[in-house]
Amino acid sequence: MDKTDKSLIDAHLQGDSEAFGELVRRYGDSLLGYLTKICRNREQAKDLFQETFRKVHEKAHTLKSSHFKSWLYTIATRVAMDSSRRSNRVRTVSLNSRAGCDGDNCPELGASLAEEAHDPSHEAVVAEQKEQVRRALESLPERQRVTVVLAYYQGLSYREVAAALNCSIGTVKTQMFRALRTLSQRLPDVSGVAK
Amino acid sequence: MKRHLTEEELIQHKFKLTSDDQAAAHAEHLSGCAECRQRLERLDQKFAALDLLREDVSASDELISQAIAQAKQPVRRKTIPFGKYHWLGTAAAVLVLGLTVFIGDFGRQETERTRSVDSTESERYTYHDRSSSRPELEKEDRPRLISKGLGDKDGSRVQLDDTATGRELATSSPPAPSTKSVERRTEDFTVDPTTRPDADISPRSYAFAPHGPGSAPEKKDATAGQRTSGLSTPELTDITTVARTETLEDVAALPGTVAGESVLAKISEKPPFAPASAIELVTLPRRDSVQLTIYNSADLTLVREKRNLTLKMGWNWLQLMWANTLIDPTSLSLEPAAQGGKIDVQQLVFPARLRELGRWLIRSEISGQVPFEITYFTSGLTWRAFYMGTLSQDEKKMRLQGYVRVANGSGEDYENAQTRLLVGKVNVLDKIADLAKRQYAYDRPGETPRSGGRSSQWSTHSVNGNFWFDSRRSVSEFDGLDLKEIKKEGLSEYFLYTIEGTETIPDKWGKRLPSFDIEDIDVESLYKYDEERWGSHTIRFVSFANDDEHNLGETPIPDGSVKIYGNAGEQGYLSYVGGTNIKYIPVGEEVELNLGAARLVEVEPKLMSFETENYVFDNKGNVAGWDELRTWQMEITNTRPLPVEIEITRGFGTPYWTLQTDALHDKHDATHARFETQLQQRSKKKLEYTVTTYHGRRQEQINE
Repeated sequence: MDKTDKSLIDAHLQGDSEAFGELVRRYGDSLLGYLTKICRNREQAKDLFQETFRKVHEKAHTLKSSHFKSWLYTIATRVAMDSSRRSNRVRTVSLNSRAGCDGDNCPELGASLAEEAHDPSHEAVVAEQKEQVRRALESLPERQRVTVVLAYYQGLSYREVAAALNCSIGTVKTQMFRALRTLSQRLPDVSGVAK
Repeated sequence: MKRHLTEEELIQHKFKLTSDDQAAAHAEHLSGCAECRQRLERLDQKFAALDLLREDVSASDELISQAIAQAKQPVRRKTIPFGKYHWLGTAAAVLVLGLTVFIGDFGRQETERTRSVDSTESERYTYHDRSSSRPELEKEDRPRLISKGLGDKDGSRVQLDDTATGRELATSSPPAPSTKSVERRTEDFTVDPTTRPDADISPRSYAFAPHGPGSAPEKKDATAGQRTSGLSTPELTDITTVARTETLEDVAALPGTVAGESVLAKISEKPPFAPASAIELVTLPRRDSVQLTIYNSADLTLVREKRNLTLKMGWNWLQLMWANTLIDPTSLSLEPAAQGGKIDVQQLVFPARLRELGRWLIRSEISGQVPFEITYFTSGLTWRAFYMGTLSQDEKKMRLQGYVRVANGSGEDYENAQTRLLVGKVNVLDKIADLAKRQYAYDRPGETPRSGGRSSQWSTHSVNGNFWFDSRRSVSEFDGLDLKEIKKEGLSEYFLYTIEGTETIPDKWGKRLPSFDIEDIDVESLYKYDEERWGSHTIRFVSFANDDEHNLGETPIPDGSVKIYGNAGEQGYLSYVGGTNIKYIPVGEEVELNLGAARLVEVEPKLMSFETENYVFDNKGNVAGWDELRTWQMEITNTRPLPVEIEITRGFGTPYWTLQTDALHDKHDATHARFETQLQQRSKKKLEYTVTTYHGRRQEQINE
């Protein structure tokens, strides 16, 4: 039987070195996915991933409730937002990214994906649409983007999102609604395109 | 919802961003609107684009191990090379220097101010000792001020003004020994027993102020800009404990909390005229339980509360404030619920010139907590019964649901109150509301109405209550709920309903409680036509009896309003049939509900002929008597899909009449005849009668 998050945290606090690893493995994929969506590039997401778990390790004793997931996303969101503020001041470029692709504008992305695809034309369209969706998401104010990612992609309930963002459910719904209203005007029409 | 949903509403519906009610309304509209469904599908397709980014991101083992390893590394603290920021050192030094100067100056000012206050307080005490009348006012101000801070409507929470209360406690009660400054202040305030003959029996005063949230004192605090902090009961208990320890030190020789006989001598036989000092200890006794008996015939509620008071041996003052409530102060009664032989509630004093305040003088031979029962009348709590009847499709059966609505406009929250509702008319000398609104407790009601007093207008919020009156059968849809039983019992001329358990009725709230739910009550539908009473309209009645045959008869039915609905179809839709008010229905009594004018059953009387005959003349040849013959035809129309029974009452204006007709009828009274007939659905019928009325001497002849 899987241990609960709280019991793993308790075990970690009592010196069980395996417990923390178990938590990282349990939430690693979803957290990396979350950070990838709200960051500009994947390398930055990996950095934030490590930073998030470093803070979890450091602040584990402050977790009072049993809602580890919300708490984890709270930390991740703060880490990402702090990083975003820093990156607004200092522009970073991933050395692994292709030349001319800084995450905002990646003209070669569609072409590269098309090369790897079985049906180049179709995949190129999909890649283009993905890019449009990504841009639409990134065009949202940070708070709205985080709300949409948490609620839509990470599958958190509005209550969990509220807990993660430390706000009321009403605020979450308002942010969500504003974000969706904006997205409805900016999202591409994907009818007929296989997901 | 008739209009189409906007795109925003569709988004809210799709992502469940609306309330349940709105979601249900949207869903209902969508189920019947193809256009909106189509738009919703388009929206679904648009938002499907979001799923393009729903890619499986997996954290590699390497990343995970890196994260674990990095997390376990000791936290790197960021160090600031001070030499690099040497200007910071300068700024810090200036800041520290400035603060030191400021604090030193402020401390000196504070010391001066404290001395000034102390001297003022000392003067006040000195003056108080010299005079017995003027200091009364000074003393009254103090509990009032403290009550502002402590005022809480139910006794469960206390609002303490931090600064004010600290000052009050410091001046009025022995201080906490930990603070040196307070100790010094207490020394300043220590009154020499030789100058205070009543010092050794200094009564302890308590205050509880059951005023509502919008009370004037609280508003005053707010306008003064003082921050108040809510303290829960434990803090209150702490304060009480400190004071009680102090008290017990006085009677340290006693075992436990009960004083021995030897200590009785210490209690002065002569009761104090008024509290000997300003309030030594002010506490808010917690209301442990409360019972409400609400009378519906008068604006009257009997409240019985139990509170634990901490008494000291000797004379104690208990202060009660009823600001912003509708309590009748003259009805206040205080009785110890335990230790009755050792506690004597001597008098209730309404100090002069102080409004909405009373003080009980209590002589106690013991020290410690004692439960007390406080009883008083208040107005503003009402209850009202109302009923909903649902007729079956054939209108021969009816389901009757009874409800009781309890409303609280008393200005006081009653938490966890045992609530009893009394049916019956009580004789009230003065209206409690008038008694409560007197300027002073000893005024006659209505003499000086308080300006800005409570308005009897107050809004109510209907709250679903989980109550249940005892009924003969449970209803399946309520099976899952924790329903409360309401016990019913006869009480002299009255009938008492007691709601099971306790219920919280906050001020300005109303609660609707299900009373009973009886199905399959046999009812009779009857149409009545009486031109003299209702004009040309036919009136519809539904009648049943409050007895065993009608599945009722267990208890009287309190007066209230009834709304009757008809079952309009298989889906259970209801249609409003009519409503009326009913009076108190004792057990066994028949009740007839007037549902108002019926449109589908009509009676149209027509005078077909008029004749006079049988003239009688007197000796002078003048007409002294005659007969009048009128032939009436009444056309009765039933356009309903159900057969109906109709009762037609005809008046003749004289007790001297005879009737010739084939229709079924009887003499209703001296001047009226009543016809009863039945009509099939959607049919017409004609009734004809000829009435002969006798006038003048013909009346005598008929009698003979």
